[in-house]
Amino acid sequence: MKKITLAALFLLILLIVVIFAQERKESASPLFEQPLLITSAGQNAEILMASVLAKRAGLDSLLSKIASPKDLENMKTIVLVLGASSKGLGAAGLDLAKEKERVNLLVEEAQKKNVPLLCLHLGGEARRGPLSDELISAFLPFAKMVIVAKSGNKDGFFTRICEKQDIALVEVEKTADVLTPLKDAFK
Amino acid sequence: MRKKKVLFTKNIILSLIASLLLAFSFYCRPREIKVPEPPSDRHQPYNFVGKKGMVVAAHHLAAKAGLEMLKKGGNAIDAAVTTAFALNASEPFASGIAGGGFMVIYLTSEKRITVVDFREKAPSGIPREIFNDEGKIEPNGLAVAVPGALAGWIYSLKKYGTKNLADVTQEAIKIAENGFAVSQTFSRINKDQYEKIITNAGEGTRYLNEGFPYEPGDLFRNPELARTFKLIVSKGIDEFYKGELAQKIVKAVNEKGGVMSLKDLALYEPVEHPPLKGNYKDYTLFSIPPPSSGGLHIIQLLNIIENWPVKKWDPNSPPYIHHFCEALRFVFADRSRYLGDPDFIKIPVEELISKKHAKQIVSQIKPDSLQDSYPFGRFEERENDNGNTSHVCVIDKEGNIVSLTHSINHFFGTGIVPENTGFLLNNIMYDFSDDLSSPNALAPYKRPLSSMSPLIMFKKEKPYLILGSPGGTRIFSSLTQIIINIVDFEMSLDEAIEAPRFFTYSSRGKARSISLESRFPENTIATLKNMGHSIRIREAFDKYFGGAQGILILNDKKVILGGADSRRDGHGEGY
Repeated sequence: MKKITLAALFLLILLIVVIFAQERKESASPLFEQPLLITSAGQNAEILMASVLAKRAGLDSLLSKIASPKDLENMKTIVLVLGASSKGLGAAGLDLAKEKERVNLLVEEAQKKNVPLLCLHLGGEARRGPLSDELISAFLPFAKMVIVAKSGNKDGFFTRICEKQDIALVEVEKTADVLTPLKDAFK
Repeated sequence: MRKKKVLFTKNIILSLIASLLLAFSFYCRPREIKVPEPPSDRHQPYNFVGKKGMVVAAHHLAAKAGLEMLKKGGNAIDAAVTTAFALNASEPFASGIAGGGFMVIYLTSEKRITVVDFREKAPSGIPREIFNDEGKIEPNGLAVAVPGALAGWIYSLKKYGTKNLADVTQEAIKIAENGFAVSQTFSRINKDQYEKIITNAGEGTRYLNEGFPYEPGDLFRNPELARTFKLIVSKGIDEFYKGELAQKIVKAVNEKGGVMSLKDLALYEPVEHPPLKGNYKDYTLFSIPPPSSGGLHIIQLLNIIENWPVKKWDPNSPPYIHHFCEALRFVFADRSRYLGDPDFIKIPVEELISKKHAKQIVSQIKPDSLQDSYPFGRFEERENDNGNTSHVCVIDKEGNIVSLTHSINHFFGTGIVPENTGFLLNNIMYDFSDDLSSPNALAPYKRPLSSMSPLIMFKKEKPYLILGSPGGTRIFSSLTQIIINIVDFEMSLDEAIEAPRFFTYSSRGKARSISLESRFPENTIATLKNMGHSIRIREAFDKYFGGAQGILILNDKKVILGGADSRRDGHGEGY
């Protein structure tokens, strides 16, 4: 009986240690460095929210709605805010093909320079749909990590891509909750 | 024995009388109106039902506030103004005291219809050119016109209402103080307009939730707006047009590069006009004259459509959509060529709404192809013209009616909130044309051309339909489609409102693409393409096409029906 109790106690301690170690591993290893370039894939309104979040997290960031490869100079991370806005694309004088081309060039340059990609999807369910999904499918696979407002991943779309490509996925309830994982992700 | 018989007979007679009385009282009991529960799918057509009165508005709390006013003995004008204040608290991104609009009032005892026009005016110091090459007004303060809404509501209340300012603001103050759960619509619009709000109102504004957009279900409160309403109640309307609030408005506008002066505000006055009248088949329609184009264009469109066998066509069919769209393209040419503020230009209104003018247009429309060129007009949709404004319909137990459309123009207006006031300033200056030769070119004190079209339609000299909608330049097209859905396609009120919509226009002599809700059948879209139309598919229920509210009065059934558009958060309350 005593042996069984001891064994159970041992297993319990082991379990706690494993969980604790896992937690430490997730929170204690920032994936990204500053300064960071914030741009969108789809000219959505959430790019401004990303900029406010970066400011509140005390991160050294530069926002550019139509960033090009030359904007990557001195940058150590790209934050790509995912989601297409017809209104935003129109206002920027772009269509989906041109926007894809712009982001593609940026991501290619980043890969060459070993600048890692952090994706954000802050628009929730309303920022999904054929156009947005096309952009997400095209660029999310290049990311090291993605932070998603939960309602945008109701159908598991992000989960499936992240599992397949081994990308760290963090789900949050709402935009303001992005702040903590964003802070933790940076050195 | 005889005595017993008499007593027995008496008892029988008494019982019979009692039974008859009981049956009679049962027959005369106040009957509950059998109203089905609203469907779980918000887009499923659903008519609100009333017997005595009805209020339909773009938010359930506003409609409830209006109904409470009717139940307390207020008339339709009292209820409409109550609802307007309540909308400022519950749907602040679409209308409010710092906006403007138009009200069509039917006074049943006088059998008279009148229009109260409280459209905003350009400030006296406005420069001649305010639009940049991309069609944007910069700086943003120049987009604010002198507000007319508060003056218009109070003018109507004093002249035609029975209650005072304290009565009509009571519910709005409660809504602003206690708050409410934000809807999907509110949240989505808040997200879409985030850049404008954060740039102009700052991270700490009530119109953001700790610097970020509201999510559905979040609590939205606006105690500053409640304080503003209380201040107006205690000090009167002059507080807004000449007092401390006026100073705050001027300061906020001019800090953002505007040119408004205290004198501009002090000089503002609403005006009253006779309505514009038109006929369609057995119906007579009353709406508003310029400076709105809406009423005029609805009459024009109906005059044109009257010439075609619409009843034989299906509402989703290619011939109906093709003919309607061609009519719209001619109407937009008239809009660009003739319409603006009648205080500044001469408008041939009677000619434009004549049946003869309609026949001239009909003679040019081909049944299955587009024109090579259309009469020249320069109207172009702006990217930020994405649906806005708000409409209220009211009928009281006496039969008085209000059809009220009002706006701060684009959602969240300019995004500018005067210090600690809780209300948003309009960006109505966007309704002027950027073409300096246009009849709608801007000038000091001029009212920009509107598309608002609050209307009341009569059938055999009795009020039948009260209708209106937001939706920018789509308003008159959408309302005409709803009227035809009811009159020709015999749809119920809300079925007519929820039915799929389309829109187009012409510019610089060329047809622009048809915007269609995605619910139209694929073969209809294919046939329209074959005719030469280019097509833009929009959402299934797209607020681009407006958010109509309506009331249908079925005199023969002694029932009032309310229809509220699911493209926004429309709601009806009847009793």
